[in-house]
Amino acid sequence: MTTPQQDAVAPGPLPGATAATHCPYCALQCAQTLTATPGERLPVAVTGREFPTNRGGLCQKGWTSAEVLRASDRITTPLIRTADGGFREAGWDEALDLVAGRVRELQAESGNDAVAVFGGGGLTNEKAYALGKFARLALGTRLIDYNGRFCMSSAAAASNRALGMDRGLAFPLADLGGADAVLVLGSNMGVTMPPFVQHLAGVRERGGLVVVDPRETVTAKLTRDGAGVHLAAVPGSDMVVLLALLHIVLAEGLQDDAYLADRVEGLDDVRRSVAQWWPERAEAATGVPADTLREVARLLAAASPSRGGRGAYILTGRGVEQMAQGTDCVNAAINLALALGLIGREGSGYGPVTGQGNGQGGREHGQKSDQLPGYRMITDPAARAHVASVWGVDPEVIPGPGVPAVQLLSSLGTADGPRALLVHGSNVVVSAPNATAVEERLRALDLLVVCDLVPSETALLADVVLPVTQWAEEDGTMTNLEGRIIRRRAAVAAPGEARSELWILRELARRLGCDATFSEDAETMFDEMARASAGGKADYSGVTYARLDAGEELFWPCPAPAPGESAHLGTPRPFLESFPTPSGRARMIAVAHRGPADDVRPGMATYLVTGRVLQHYQSGAQTRRVKELAQAQPEAFVEMHPLLAERYGLTEGAVAFLATARGEAMARVRLTTDIRTDTVFMPFHWAGAGSANRLTNDVTDPTSSMPEFKVTAVAIRAAHQLRPASELEGAAR
Amino acid sequence: MRIVVIGHGMVGSRFAQDAAARVPGAHVTVLGREDTAPYNRVLLSSVVAGKADADAIALVSPDADAVDVRQGVSAVEIDRARRLVTASDGSVHRYDRLVLATGSAARVPQIQHVANPDGLVPGVSVLKDLADAQGILAALPKARRAVVLGAGVLGLEVATGLAARGLAVTLVHHADRLMERQLGSSASQVAEGSLGRLGMTVVTQASVTRVVERRGRISAVELSNGAEILTDLLVMCAGTIPETALARRAGLPCERGVVVGTDLASPADPHVFAIGDCAQPPEGGTGLVAQGWDQAQRLVDAWAGAPIAPRDDAAGTDRTNVVRVKASGLEVVTMGLSGKFEHGDRLLRAVRISDPAVGRFVEVVIHEGRLVGATVVGDKATATDLQALYTRGLPVPSDPAHLIVRPIPGAAPASRNAADMADADTVCQCNTVSKGRITDAIADGCESVEDVSRATRACTGCGDCKSLVKEMLVTAASDRKVPAMAGTGEA
Repeated sequence: MTTPQQDAVAPGPLPGATAATHCPYCALQCAQTLTATPGERLPVAVTGREFPTNRGGLCQKGWTSAEVLRASDRITTPLIRTADGGFREAGWDEALDLVAGRVRELQAESGNDAVAVFGGGGLTNEKAYALGKFARLALGTRLIDYNGRFCMSSAAAASNRALGMDRGLAFPLADLGGADAVLVLGSNMGVTMPPFVQHLAGVRERGGLVVVDPRETVTAKLTRDGAGVHLAAVPGSDMVVLLALLHIVLAEGLQDDAYLADRVEGLDDVRRSVAQWWPERAEAATGVPADTLREVARLLAAASPSRGGRGAYILTGRGVEQMAQGTDCVNAAINLALALGLIGREGSGYGPVTGQGNGQGGREHGQKSDQLPGYRMITDPAARAHVASVWGVDPEVIPGPGVPAVQLLSSLGTADGPRALLVHGSNVVVSAPNATAVEERLRALDLLVVCDLVPSETALLADVVLPVTQWAEEDGTMTNLEGRIIRRRAAVAAPGEARSELWILRELARRLGCDATFSEDAETMFDEMARASAGGKADYSGVTYARLDAGEELFWPCPAPAPGESAHLGTPRPFLESFPTPSGRARMIAVAHRGPADDVRPGMATYLVTGRVLQHYQSGAQTRRVKELAQAQPEAFVEMHPLLAERYGLTEGAVAFLATARGEAMARVRLTTDIRTDTVFMPFHWAGAGSANRLTNDVTDPTSSMPEFKVTAVAIRAAHQLRPASELEGAAR
Repeated sequence: MRIVVIGHGMVGSRFAQDAAARVPGAHVTVLGREDTAPYNRVLLSSVVAGKADADAIALVSPDADAVDVRQGVSAVEIDRARRLVTASDGSVHRYDRLVLATGSAARVPQIQHVANPDGLVPGVSVLKDLADAQGILAALPKARRAVVLGAGVLGLEVATGLAARGLAVTLVHHADRLMERQLGSSASQVAEGSLGRLGMTVVTQASVTRVVERRGRISAVELSNGAEILTDLLVMCAGTIPETALARRAGLPCERGVVVGTDLASPADPHVFAIGDCAQPPEGGTGLVAQGWDQAQRLVDAWAGAPIAPRDDAAGTDRTNVVRVKASGLEVVTMGLSGKFEHGDRLLRAVRISDPAVGRFVEVVIHEGRLVGATVVGDKATATDLQALYTRGLPVPSDPAHLIVRPIPGAAPASRNAADMADADTVCQCNTVSKGRITDAIADGCESVEDVSRATRACTGCGDCKSLVKEMLVTAASDRKVPAMAGTGEA
């Protein structure tokens, strides 16, 4: 790898020049000002910028984000695998020719689907769009999916079937401030997106924050001192909490009858389905006292508009969505919100708290195995015809639906599976469930091409690594958790030979003989994407860089105006008039609790839940390279209650050995009374022996194909006790 | 495969739905005596107590396309030789497998004048179905007093529910303690104390011997101890009797219930099965819907070829056996071994805390590192935790005492206070800023939260630590003033 240096082509920014952009990490997309600092160790200085979401705030990840621009092992030139297993530096022509040549060979031998593409929820809208187009036109493969499948797919599927649209939060974040109650399930935004917490100040003052989590997380602690209620539900039982809350609402007649009559269908089936979850039964299933469930149901009802409240919100996060019943669980949340008359009313609502930086936009523009730009279904002939016309091809050319992420990854290098994979913006070796198996599949490929900033664990397995630009080095748009389209702006040039994926895709497409348009200019790609999205659910056709740069706050759908009409102002709050379903009504959907696929049992008698720490993002490929963050959270750990630790002879700082039906891991013990005594917690940001995803379950939700990251049975022992896992429980008695 | 289910209650309806959905080639017919959709019988006491709307307890009906449901049609005869069931509407149903889910009936004790030729004397009722509940509800507006006979779970729920509605309630029970199948004497005494606080009169070791009728309605009852109690209502909650008449007539072995093996089949006929309240499995029927639903699921699993989850763990514990009284002001939960249980040849550890003055009694029973029984009166939080532990069969702490004494809530300080924090403690979680760094920043001249934020990034994330930083600024400012004032004093 070469020494980082300023790209000779692009002139360096002037000292003190600023760029108004947004943080590289999560979906809150905190606004930042980058000030060029030529000659300094880091090329830019980062400060928080006033914006409706972060209100000037940043967390430690955001403040230190410039460090990643100059990570000491930043990849600055293409790398090609050598015969001895190492890498050598190469020029772009050589690397791209190699990739294109191998792709052609493999496709000639095994068909177009021999090559697959894996994208990411951190890519800009323009890149996500270009990647989907590249897969379908340049590669002609139906096999593309992305890591958003591990993130938002359950919430997306549930929202689509209940509300007819998946717009993330269907309201500006600031709306939360006026509510009397906010119910949060499976999200720890106090750690994952701290500036979010500012919007909970009002509801905390009014005592209405309800957090459901097996741990007393930073977010759950926000309910202390009368600010609300923490329900420490058994892992995997959140759905029962929701079913029981709805049971109580209906049993006590607290629902919004007028709204239900006017705007909702499906109540009868749902009413009958929740009749079996009376609070006392739910108590045994959830570990939440029946009377507490009643209090919470009444608190939510009192906050609802029909009972004179200021409003109530229900928010879900990965904790309840990353389950084999994740889609149904979100529908249970939406059912409750509908019964209380919350959705499609200003000041109330339901929303999933999107995780990845562009987790929202990333799922709208064609990275998903079954979708085309504009949140269109690839199987819909009209959608295919529209997109084909924008792409200038015959609709027949566009391949059909592929397969979702877990299925795609598990098929790699198998007899009928893809022989090559192109990875963009994802570190699947660390972030996918059952990670050991994923690594095996990647090793079985004939060709692995990884676009990355740094030698991530996935990049290290690649045959060809292509260095790419990152946040402060590029222009583009992101769509944040509110469905708000925001501008990412370049402040500095990328070091060395790093290039935007837009350029890489253009170059590869050209080498593959594809004459469709691929531009390295983000605005050009955006304008095309906007046209491709026109008439779709996620309609961006009225959005332009000029409008965004003029400071307009644009939420999709934002269609292009008909001739003679004035510009559409975007849709901060969809559903106010009606729902985009065939009947115009929201649909309540009867759902059943099935519980974890890999439930506790003798020998595997503890629940493992996984999640994040404040200092790290996703697989940690970026944040583990920031000294300040790595020092604060240097290694994997397993959090457990002292009563549980004592049973296994574990003490603070001891190394625990953990085993599940799929894999093993080791991590240092942290004792805390903030967790249920039947549950351990591991963050998933690390690779190697401390990798939580070696333990997680790759069983998936039948509707969304979301893996069950968030709950599995685990056996625990002290690492020095070398006995087979099957004897563990016996030994602990 | 033709499956005929007799009984369309909580267990029969669920079994029918699941069998139709999961058993390949199943053709399911259900005969239901009541002319209503299935409903949640467990909540009838909540309806009486006014805690649930009667129309909110209907359960999911099997999809008409998937299951042939005959509501208001009872089975009158089973011809096992020809595998035919004859129904009250004259229809005849052939089966490959027959599932009895006939439930149980309320036991009506021997009481003089409890009934007249038209049925029970007006004002006298059992509580077994929706009609019973609606009958009690209809009588409530004119009722001021009620006698509840039987202090099992249902009796306690009805008694507390009626008391909460403002009626003067007398609870009459034949045994020397409440819920004598589940509670020992100490636990019962604590529970009785709770009933007293709810304003209820409890009469134990007594039965109702006679109903006094006046103007066509009940006006009083006489007890076996000679007392006469004026009352407007008598609700008899004196237990249930499995509905076995049909099975007996068909020559199936019946004791208290229809005898079945661990496979839920009759030992006399491999084509006939029984689940729910009417069944008598080897471990005994508990009368709990959880047991019936578990049986329904196991039977469907077996027929669908799914792996069958072990019902019991090594200690032979029925993990569905949780008895929970649904009552405001009376917290009673038992699970597994409770009350006066046999130790057998097992090495059982029983640890208890008895604290009658505050209305608390907790006992846990441990076998080989697992919870096999518990009794909890008057301790909601512990009851909840123990249920989660018991129903999942999870291991317990080395010292079971930890199960019954909870750590003091709010072990972490309820409100954080900068003065109590050490220099190494984190003030700003979002940016990992320690108290020491903020102290240094203030010493270096920071005078406002904004100054401290610029110097350390504290308060720039969620903003929750602003109050702590303010507190530190105020403390530092007053510290600076103190020496100055002292100097003034000396001058």
